[in-house]
Amino acid sequence: MKRKTASVLLAAGLAISMAACSSSNSSNETKAPSSENSPQVTGDDLAFYKFPKPVDVHVGMVVDPTDKTLPQGDSVNNNQYTRYLKEKYNINVIVDWTAATGNDYKQKVSLSIASGKLPDGMVVDDRSFMTKAASSGLLYDITDLFKQYSSSQVKEIMDSTQGRAMENASYKGKMVSLPNITVDTDGVHIMWIRKDWLDKLNLPVPKTVSDIEKTAKAFVDNKLGGPNMVGIAGPSKNTFPYATFLVSSNNMGGFDPVFGAMDAYPGYWLDNGDGTATYGTLTDNTKKTLALLADWYKKGLIDPEVGTRDNVGDPINANQAGIFFGPWWNGGYGNGDSFKNDPTANWQAYPVYSDDGKWNTHMKTTGSTYTLISKNAKPDVVKAILIMNNALVRDESTFDLSVAVGWYPLRNVMAAANETEYEYTELLKVLKGETKPEDYNKPNSLYKLMYSDAKKVQSVVKAPYDNLNVSNFNMTNFGDFQRMYSLLIGDRPFTTTPIDKKVYSITYNQTPTMETKWANLKKLEDETVLKIILGQASIDSFDTFVKNWKAQGGEEIAKEVAELLKK
Amino acid sequence: MRKMGLQKHYYLMLLPGMIWLILFSIVPMFGIIMAFENYNPGQGLFRSEWVGLDNFKYMFQLSDSRAVILNTFIIAVGKIVFNLLVPLIFAILLNELTHLRFKKMVQTIVYLPHFLSWVIMATIVIGIFGYYGVANTVVQAFGGHPKLFMADAGIFRQLIIGTDVWKEFGYNAIIYLAALTGVNLNLYEAAAIDGANRWQLIRNVTLPALSTTVVLLGVLSLGNVLNAGFDQVYNLYNPLVYSTGDILDTWVYRLGLQNLQFSLATAAGLFKSVISFVLIFISYRLAYRFADYTVF
Repeated sequence: MKRKTASVLLAAGLAISMAACSSSNSSNETKAPSSENSPQVTGDDLAFYKFPKPVDVHVGMVVDPTDKTLPQGDSVNNNQYTRYLKEKYNINVIVDWTAATGNDYKQKVSLSIASGKLPDGMVVDDRSFMTKAASSGLLYDITDLFKQYSSSQVKEIMDSTQGRAMENASYKGKMVSLPNITVDTDGVHIMWIRKDWLDKLNLPVPKTVSDIEKTAKAFVDNKLGGPNMVGIAGPSKNTFPYATFLVSSNNMGGFDPVFGAMDAYPGYWLDNGDGTATYGTLTDNTKKTLALLADWYKKGLIDPEVGTRDNVGDPINANQAGIFFGPWWNGGYGNGDSFKNDPTANWQAYPVYSDDGKWNTHMKTTGSTYTLISKNAKPDVVKAILIMNNALVRDESTFDLSVAVGWYPLRNVMAAANETEYEYTELLKVLKGETKPEDYNKPNSLYKLMYSDAKKVQSVVKAPYDNLNVSNFNMTNFGDFQRMYSLLIGDRPFTTTPIDKKVYSITYNQTPTMETKWANLKKLEDETVLKIILGQASIDSFDTFVKNWKAQGGEEIAKEVAELLKK
Repeated sequence: MRKMGLQKHYYLMLLPGMIWLILFSIVPMFGIIMAFENYNPGQGLFRSEWVGLDNFKYMFQLSDSRAVILNTFIIAVGKIVFNLLVPLIFAILLNELTHLRFKKMVQTIVYLPHFLSWVIMATIVIGIFGYYGVANTVVQAFGGHPKLFMADAGIFRQLIIGTDVWKEFGYNAIIYLAALTGVNLNLYEAAAIDGANRWQLIRNVTLPALSTTVVLLGVLSLGNVLNAGFDQVYNLYNPLVYSTGDILDTWVYRLGLQNLQFSLATAAGLFKSVISFVLIFISYRLAYRFADYTVF
């Protein structure tokens, strides 16, 4: 019943919003808005409502300094996306400040929170920014407006997480931010391996950690990647050996699958089942895995420059590495230069199994970026920001992506949690002729990129489709190649292989004590873990670390986390 | 009053500087209040909860603070000493050269690195000291095993000081070279007639002529005793060298801008400023006593 109502609403909303689009300016009488920009309409036409008077939205924006896709004469304030927002919704985007991707942007966000002066909207990439701003009373309570103004598509995506996304976006029961929702597979880390090198050495695909050890040794001994051959690539000076409860996904170059295969979940808060909580890094299994990694490092199987490299991708893109670990998009999107340097680099993705043949993996939170809306924003501005989000979700696949979609103001990705798995399955059907691209031409679909991908896939992937290798892919349109490669090769393990054990962290957020003590504990953890792997500290120092970690506030924090179990 | 009138244009010229000072140095001083409160950005500087010295107490309870202060001190003092000595020796050596074009060329080349930011320099340094870098090629040529210099906490401080001196010595030598051009050539002639050799000329003419400059630069740099160079350390360090490489500025950065502990970070910053102020005060006294140098 519920679903039926929703779909009727959806269809109605669609009809109205399409009508609204086509009649643009002359639609005032049908909407009959009152004098103050507040419309008397409901449903999806509210979600794509065009303001009669222009609404100014001030934003802080992240820019990619290496991006060269903006045409001559366009700017961050005036480009195809801002013009789209102006034309369709009468929203004027005014960029108050910009900062470069990464630490520059974090710094700017941090300073704008510290000074208590937020722009109307900005996207932050760390939940502690959101909670800090919320606990300081700087954020707009969008609970009601979100219900009214979000498109059915956005709501459907939110619902695909079973309420986890809403909880993630809320502070003390109030919705204070728009969350991003990313695919679950972003948090599932797998092994990427050079299948062409395996074939050259006549080796099978490694399954367990001891297989990986043998394979890496063979790679290194045969120096397939040249004199600077790296068996297994690892984290750089800015990334971490494993994903943690605070950064639970997209850990390119970490050792997550190795830990999983040893039934260890460092960085995650684990439920002991008896009302207590353990920090995964402190467990015996983590200790065993660290000893194993240290052994690999000593044997020269792991990148000798692990932990000090500038960039994780360097040895991978230079085709010096045979194995690395990361989520589905790391091959394709994540290592494009590897294919540019060697179009035969046949990167394939597989799970890593425990000795008894189980695939264990830690699972991520729904998303970790948030659109913050200032408490001082006018209601119309808040509505405008919600509409901008609706519009992005609905129309992203129709944009001309030769201008990077990162220029879309306040872009915060919302995708159904299983979008990649759905696309994997359906794209293969398209390839095999079981379905046609036109079958996916459903506007407002939950899987918003499906139709445009279905249209592309046949020009990128060549038969036979059963066992896809890099030779099946056409790299002419490199962007399309990267997406298809990541979807069809990178997401294959998660789509086709059942996971035996999925581990969620009790919390993906900071508790009150963490706010003051976590920086210190994290420093201790990062230092100890890397030192053990690199052999600078013996594995025995692990026990001292556990003791110190507990004494310096860890024990107190574990109790706070255990409290969360009771709810 | 009449004097003031005569000097009106001087005061006018002073005005932009004073406005700058008030806007960017004196007004922000109110921000230090944050160090004494549990700062809440929503409530602002004047309405946040007052906690007195709690932030400072907590700072010293943290196991990190002592190591961080020590690292800062060692790195900064190392930089001060070597940034005085190396340019001095280099300037004197350069001054002894007679081939003018070669001299100019050397001078230009060595001061070029000064103009590169640490973001770029760090990439170069990491390349040189990387596993497959030049440094390890040399090590291997002498039969040693390649090592990861950037991951070795035992030599990180030396590396920081060394690369900083390498980057700056050409630039720092300019002041000495300028002072050397001011030395009266008659002094050299007179000493040469008295039979002084080159070494004696340096010892008895060049060095005394430079002594005020050395003292002056030394004094001016004393205020930097807790400035170990954020840009450099931030771009070069990694968790493996926290124990010797984490300095006050990087610590404050992680606390304040990454962990949003604004009050604690302000307290740490204020602590650094107070120590620096005391040191500047002392060094100023010392300079007056030993070099007869005053600013005011």
